Amino acid sequence: MVEFMKRALELASEALSAQEVPVGCVFTINDTIVAESRNSVNHTRNPTRHAEMNCIDSVLEHCKKNGIDHASYFRNVVVYVTVEPCIMCAAALNILNVNEVVYGCANDRFGGYTVLDVRKFYEPNYLLTGNLCADEAMALLKQFYKGANPNAPETKAKKKPS
Amino acid sequence: MSDTEPPEKKPKIICNLSNIYLDTIDQCIESISSSERNLQPIISDELTQPLEFINVFVGHIKNVKDISRTILILNDKIPLKELSHLKRVRRQDIILCPTKFLDNMSSIQDYIESHVTELRDVFDYFKEVNVPLLPPKVMKQYNEVRKIWSCNFHPNHYFEKLVSNHFFSVYDVKIHRKFMEVAFEIAKWYAIHDGVAFDINNILLTIVNVTVVVDPNFNRIVTIAYDYRHDHPMQHSAMLAIDNVAKTQNGGVWSTESNDGLLPGIDKELVHFLKQKFSQFIIGLKKTNWSGAKGGQKMDTDGEKGGPKSDSHEENKEKDGPYLCTGYYVYMLREPCVMCAMALVHARAKRVFFCFNNSVCGALNSVAKLQTISSLNHHFEVFTGFL
Repeated sequence: MVEFMKRALELASEALSAQEVPVGCVFTINDTIVAESRNSVNHTRNPTRHAEMNCIDSVLEHCKKNGIDHASYFRNVVVYVTVEPCIMCAAALNILNVNEVVYGCANDRFGGYTVLDVRKFYEPNYLLTGNLCADEAMALLKQFYKGANPNAPETKAKKKPS
Repeated sequence: MSDTEPPEKKPKIICNLSNIYLDTIDQCIESISSSERNLQPIISDELTQPLEFINVFVGHIKNVKDISRTILILNDKIPLKELSHLKRVRRQDIILCPTKFLDNMSSIQDYIESHVTELRDVFDYFKEVNVPLLPPKVMKQYNEVRKIWSCNFHPNHYFEKLVSNHFFSVYDVKIHRKFMEVAFEIAKWYAIHDGVAFDINNILLTIVNVTVVVDPNFNRIVTIAYDYRHDHPMQHSAMLAIDNVAKTQNGGVWSTESNDGLLPGIDKELVHFLKQKFSQFIIGLKKTNWSGAKGGQKMDTDGEKGGPKSDSHEENKEKDGPYLCTGYYVYMLREPCVMCAMALVHARAKRVFFCFNNSVCGALNSVAKLQTISSLNHHFEVFTGFL
């Protein structure tokens, strides 16, 4: 378990070097990594390109290419993500009916559990565990938020020092 | 003879969202465009629900001359910070404390004697009163409250507008209805194009949705998207629309079949059709020409003071260019699901309009109201009531 989170943390660091919000994610099936990615919101100008969404797309592509039924494929997926999935990603992972989600640190701004427990809207829903390597995940976020969002327009960038 | 016959009943269109009677898309379009009814903001329950109450002990003062002294002592010895919206006194009645403060104390007289001995002979008698736990937010609530107790209230202009039935001007209502019509025409176009009979149930059963993204400053359709979830479970129309907007900003990830540069990812024939049908709107956004000429009278895009902060100041736009969906309006056939609604929060949309409720997983009205969750970093306004 920890090894997968460590890999997700590496991906998060990679995101940080690319000036993206440092969140990394790996999808596993039977303890084998089947997809891995990181946040790419700034690069794509698409605010929904979170690490989880990128992993989802790569699994869908894999399934399509190999004629695999993605619905049954996702059923066996365990997700390791450095930060608690946001409300959008939590909903996406529930729509796809993944088996389990393990996250690092909580997301008290828009977490799909902390802010609004999205699982209650879906039946069945996934198992959820938090607090695996939370400090490392949080340290990366803190490092990022010290800097500025490179994509924000001038007038919106860092209005108030926080 | 004929006089005694009841007049023939007009078939009534049932607009109740859970019971749609309109079974063809043309009926829907007709109904949306012919109505002049104002749209309805979907707002926090705090503004619409009856207030919550708390039971308090009230003491009736014997001598009016003791009132001010008693209040001073009570505010010092039994301060009631959480009830600071209420005046402590109403005529000769003074709020002492919530009844739950008593715990094991046998009576309010005992409580007063042990906490504020100096007031033990001030009161004639005691009674219990239900007073509002929270301050009233709108005039309607205030009017209820003040029948019960004197209360501080400063009307918020924006809140009053939200609970009124005339949020938009007549002109704006027409335009919003027209943009919703665009969404329905797109649904119809795809139904014809794909050779399937359009079935309104497909919208209600969360299979089909359409998203139209508009820059209200120029009445410009920035992008549109039709649901593709049958092929890709994440490609709900709102998710596709957000990616299409990214494409207008030199980004985007999902490859799409055709691209004529005007509406990235959208079929040329459809773009042509929309241009013919809705000539009053500017269709498409050229990457290099986003600050094009103004088209006609523009909608009132600034919320009232005190409302969600306005991001669409043109000056800012001129300087920065578009950023995500900042300042944009989003029109959808059906209330977005939890994923799509949160995606629109991430995208910083300014207003979201939808026609049908999504009772299964709609996150702007049905199962949740993301626009009212204060911890989120962006809040848009949400409107419905087209039918």
